[in-house]
Amino acid sequence: MARQKWKELLVRTLRLYTLLVTLITVLMIILGNLLDRDRVFSYDAFFSPLIYALIGTAATMVTRSDRELSVRSLLIRKIISLLIAEGAIVLIALNADTIPTEKSWVLPGLALGIFVVFVLTHIILYFIDRKEAEKLNADLSRYQEQQLNGSPIHE
Amino acid sequence: MKLETRKIPESEPEMVEIRYHWITDEILEIISFVKSRQGQLSAVRDGKRFEVPVVDLFYAESVDERLFLYTVSDSYEIRMKLYELEDLLKNKSFLRVSKSMIVNLMKITSVRPALNGRFSAVLKNGEEIIISRKYVPALKQILKGGES
Repeated sequence: MARQKWKELLVRTLRLYTLLVTLITVLMIILGNLLDRDRVFSYDAFFSPLIYALIGTAATMVTRSDRELSVRSLLIRKIISLLIAEGAIVLIALNADTIPTEKSWVLPGLALGIFVVFVLTHIILYFIDRKEAEKLNADLSRYQEQQLNGSPIHE
Repeated sequence: MKLETRKIPESEPEMVEIRYHWITDEILEIISFVKSRQGQLSAVRDGKRFEVPVVDLFYAESVDERLFLYTVSDSYEIRMKLYELEDLLKNKSFLRVSKSMIVNLMKITSVRPALNGRFSAVLKNGEEIIISRKYVPALKQILKGGES
């Protein structure tokens, strides 16, 4: 049971990380093309989405708790995790030579981009959970049918 | 309290006899346990004692160290700890879904996603309860035919 719990946590974390890497890469392509089209990067630039996604994933740790959080406190923690991700990535951007933060529209664009990634991540994760719920519902009806027909799955 | 068990021939019916001086909480707990093994739970509503059939239970919830049973439209209080009830009902389609709640899987209409990896279960009486993320693996396991 504990093993399955950790496995579930690992799967969810890796899923979130992969999703963030993909969305951040797309965001960088869009923002880069719109705001800083002529810039040329070295191969090191490939690390950026991986690092930003790591920050984004680490920021979601504030929503983890051994206690069962109410919807209200969960929403507050979600907002805190967004602010942490925004703060950390903006801080990195300010110290990175590759991001032209001297241009007035870059930081607001970046902050908006992080917010869009945050929202998109939650929408995609919701659809993944919905798929999981559909499977649970199918298993549930099969389970109920088996129990009603007097052939319990377990005794 | 003295405990006595006696092997009897198969022709005689099995029975539990409780000899008491006064009905105490301890006696009530033993009665409640025996009844639960027979598919009924002794619980209290409005000061009156009721025998609640386990199959009619929707869920049980622990609130401020008191345990309540919920049927389609009524609620009862039972003198038991949640973990004790969970243990009693674990082979009867009941499953722990949060720190303070166990639910009758036969009374769930559907499951849908809630916030942050949690799910909510819609019950046959229209009520909705939260399945904590921590207990989702156990739910999946039991629905697939494993023990929780």
